[in-house]
Amino acid sequence: MAKIKFGIRGHGLGVVAAWVLGFFSSVGYAETPQNFLDTYAREVRVENPNFKGFSASAGAAFYKNTHGAEWRCASCHTDSPTSLGEHVVTHKQIQPLSPVANPARFTDATKVNKWFKRNCNDVVQRECTAEEKGNVLTYLLSVKP
Amino acid sequence: MNLTRALIVSLVCHGASLAYADNQSYGPYSKSYVEDCGSCHVPYPPQRMTQQGWETQMGNLSQHYGTDASLDAAAAKPIMAYLTANAGIKPKLAPTGPTARLTETRWFVGEHGKAPAGKSFSDCTQCHKEAAQGDFSERRLQIPANWRMGR
Repeated sequence: MAKIKFGIRGHGLGVVAAWVLGFFSSVGYAETPQNFLDTYAREVRVENPNFKGFSASAGAAFYKNTHGAEWRCASCHTDSPTSLGEHVVTHKQIQPLSPVANPARFTDATKVNKWFKRNCNDVVQRECTAEEKGNVLTYLLSVKP
Repeated sequence: MNLTRALIVSLVCHGASLAYADNQSYGPYSKSYVEDCGSCHVPYPPQRMTQQGWETQMGNLSQHYGTDASLDAAAAKPIMAYLTANAGIKPKLAPTGPTARLTETRWFVGEHGKAPAGKSFSDCTQCHKEAAQGDFSERRLQIPANWRMGR
């Protein structure tokens, strides 16, 4: 009898712990990288109903190549997006861009939108398309730590 | 007598300069200021340029020295209010060029000279080791051995 009671109590604590953890993780991170991929995929399908999915290799090429401007994504974020980056002018340290190395990345829509707007203007001199963003994020999620 | 007077003058001046040096701490800055204006460079002290200078900066963020640093209106409003509340008022802190570079104010050039060709003053931490926290005191100053003040 005592054993059963203990079992129930243990289970109850587990539920509370899970709830508390869930609460804190949802407070810390409003969105997940997958949320962004889903949003970008929905946007791409509006234009292209036959869209088959994002490509890590296309994302890698976009990330590493120049696009008519002086800077590439990798200029500051480095060719290894799991590494620390550095601003090419001010030398300010930049935390790794890949969520694989930095779980805070792609968890806040306001920040993601702000930085895509700024950095796409710097790198491609226009806003990025949903497909470009989805490809890059797919690449960033595919790299090994 | 003259020697004593010189000594007193020297002590007073030295004491004053020490007090001044110790006061050169401008942080901590607001969280949003650090996040929005301290991601690409250390957050620069709002106190070290006039409101007019900050208005020029904030009015042209999409073309911010070769990079797009734009903020949406919701983010820009509290930043401008923070800059206005903390901006300097002395004439030497006024902008001197069309883009209101802080490093071209009379105060900045007087203290630091001009950056050598191809170099930039944008990274304060080269010498002010605690600049990221807003601490520009001389205790935290480490000038590289090869530093020569440009004119």
